Amino acid sequence: MQSALRILVVDDEVIACKRLKLSLSSNEYTVECVPGGAEAVQRLESESFDIVVTDICMDQVDGIAVLDAVSRLHPQSKTIVITGYASVEVAREALAKGAFDFIAKPFQPKDLRVIIDKAAKEIRRVRPKDRADGSSGN
Amino acid sequence: MAVETPNRASEESASLSGVLTDPGWNGRAEYEVAADEALRRRPTLTVRNRLMLMLSLFFLLSLAVTIWSIHTLSTVRDSILFLEVADDYTSEIQQARRYEKNYLLYDTNLTDALQHASAAQRLARDNDGKIRKVMGTQAVAAMHQHLDEYHSLMVRIGDTKTPGTRADLEAQIRYHGNEAGEFAKRFVTTERAKVEARLSLAQRVLFASIGGVLLLTVLVANFFARRITSTLRRFAEHTNRIGHGDFTPIMPMRKYRDEFTLLAVAINRMVQELDRRHQILIESHKLRALGTLVAGVAHELNNPLNNMMLTAAILKEQYDELSDEDKLEMVDDLIGQTERSRKIVRNLLDFARESETKLEALDLAEIVDETAHLLGNQLKVKKVKLSVVVPQGVPPVHGDQQLLNEVLMNLIINALHVVAEGGEIKIVVDPEREDGFVALDVIDNGPGIPNHIIGRIFDPFFTTKPKGTGTGLGLSVARGIVQKLGGSLTVASSPGHGATFSILLPVTGIPSDISSRT
Repeated sequence: MQSALRILVVDDEVIACKRLKLSLSSNEYTVECVPGGAEAVQRLESESFDIVVTDICMDQVDGIAVLDAVSRLHPQSKTIVITGYASVEVAREALAKGAFDFIAKPFQPKDLRVIIDKAAKEIRRVRPKDRADGSSGN
Repeated sequence: MAVETPNRASEESASLSGVLTDPGWNGRAEYEVAADEALRRRPTLTVRNRLMLMLSLFFLLSLAVTIWSIHTLSTVRDSILFLEVADDYTSEIQQARRYEKNYLLYDTNLTDALQHASAAQRLARDNDGKIRKVMGTQAVAAMHQHLDEYHSLMVRIGDTKTPGTRADLEAQIRYHGNEAGEFAKRFVTTERAKVEARLSLAQRVLFASIGGVLLLTVLVANFFARRITSTLRRFAEHTNRIGHGDFTPIMPMRKYRDEFTLLAVAINRMVQELDRRHQILIESHKLRALGTLVAGVAHELNNPLNNMMLTAAILKEQYDELSDEDKLEMVDDLIGQTERSRKIVRNLLDFARESETKLEALDLAEIVDETAHLLGNQLKVKKVKLSVVVPQGVPPVHGDQQLLNEVLMNLIINALHVVAEGGEIKIVVDPEREDGFVALDVIDNGPGIPNHIIGRIFDPFFTTKPKGTGTGLGLSVARGIVQKLGGSLTVASSPGHGATFSILLPVTGIPSDISSRT
């Protein structure tokens, strides 16, 4: 049995944060929520998360900045962005900056879970290899 | 939705202009029809007819002068001929008198004297009528009498030998001869004076008519030049006015219809058509603003929708595991988020709503808040900071809430377009600037407006945005609304230092308006 993956949810909507935490938490995932981009970057600077789920449109520090912070601090982490509207440009920009996938509001928890599971599978597929090459890597 | 039935389209533009122009679309149309009728109802007096009339008068005047001159010339000719008769008569008399003297002194030539006296008598008799006209009937009668006496006395003296009687006859002959001679002299002098008077009159009349013709020519030329150029100038002023978006029809200024009337009617028709299209464009401008707004609102709506979706889905998924307390909280959240969505939609509908102008006392702070809230997302997307400064105790202004929202919306969207990402827009309300008015400034820190275009930015269809992105109607519509509400909209800007749009709105004068507000 593998250890639970750590997920960071970033959304300035308090209700969405609360519900996502409730619905994503399971044996496989431990979920932490922050209500803004600035807090997310702060957390990322001190700790690493396997998966970061972030809203794009937020006051001050937005999702793209969070995505930048992830690629800078923890390049092996997967970032899933939540776009406000099904905007192709924003999604394309996020993907170009290294986002794993995107999901458009409004969505159901199970849709997000499918994407998170996909990301987890990817992480788990790479990680043993990482460990095997651990001595030569990093 | 791009294709609409004509009926619907005209209804829309009708209701829109109902908002923007006071008498409303129907009132405007009536005004135009009235202008058209007023232009056409005047009696016709075309420039062509006027010209014909003037030239006819001219011709008649010249004709009169010419006919009079011809008449004068012919009378002068007659007088000269008649003068010859007078000369003949005079010389006959003089001859007779010369022979009479010879006879009396030397007793010769009596026959010659008699012959000449008879000739004079004949001439006088032949031209009796004409001489009467010149000298008068009495004088002529006297002349005939003297001549006859003179003739008969000379016949008598030839037969008389008695010296006493002869001396008496001689005296009588001298007297009558003298009278006849005097008459002849007077006759010639009078006739000559008459000819001279007539000739000098003819000369004066001709000089006067030259002067008159010259004066008339100048007057007529001046009149037509003035009439035509002044009318053309009026039309030029008119087209300038139309260029600045003033679509009031041309009203008649003169008493008569002429060729320019057709032009005025044609221009009025064109203006009417322009006005109609302008209204449709204003409508499309509003739709465009609405489109900008809708994009933001749709985005804003996604947040409560997402919250509801997540909450409802989890409520369903984990129904059995959740405590009653959690379930209740979730249901409360659902209600709360639905309420939030409703508010967003209502704001949008309020902006899009079309209605009659409703003048009332309004709190500017409220309008600023509402508009700022509606545009919240646009500001967020561009990371533009909006600060609002409203002092305490701003008196209510006189206006229509929806129209003022639209004005402010246009100004803020404009500012939003010019400021850089992360820029700043300030809204300052100032009740002190002008007596009876409240000032509202929308200040941006964009690049400012270049001097060469600042005079045109309120013109309809003037835009600095790339082709196809701006209608160029936002500021013109905003100014139209503010002016209609009795206020003014001005701009101050210097390149590099942003721009300040200032609205002045009249303070409500009737306090009862406030209490009647719902």
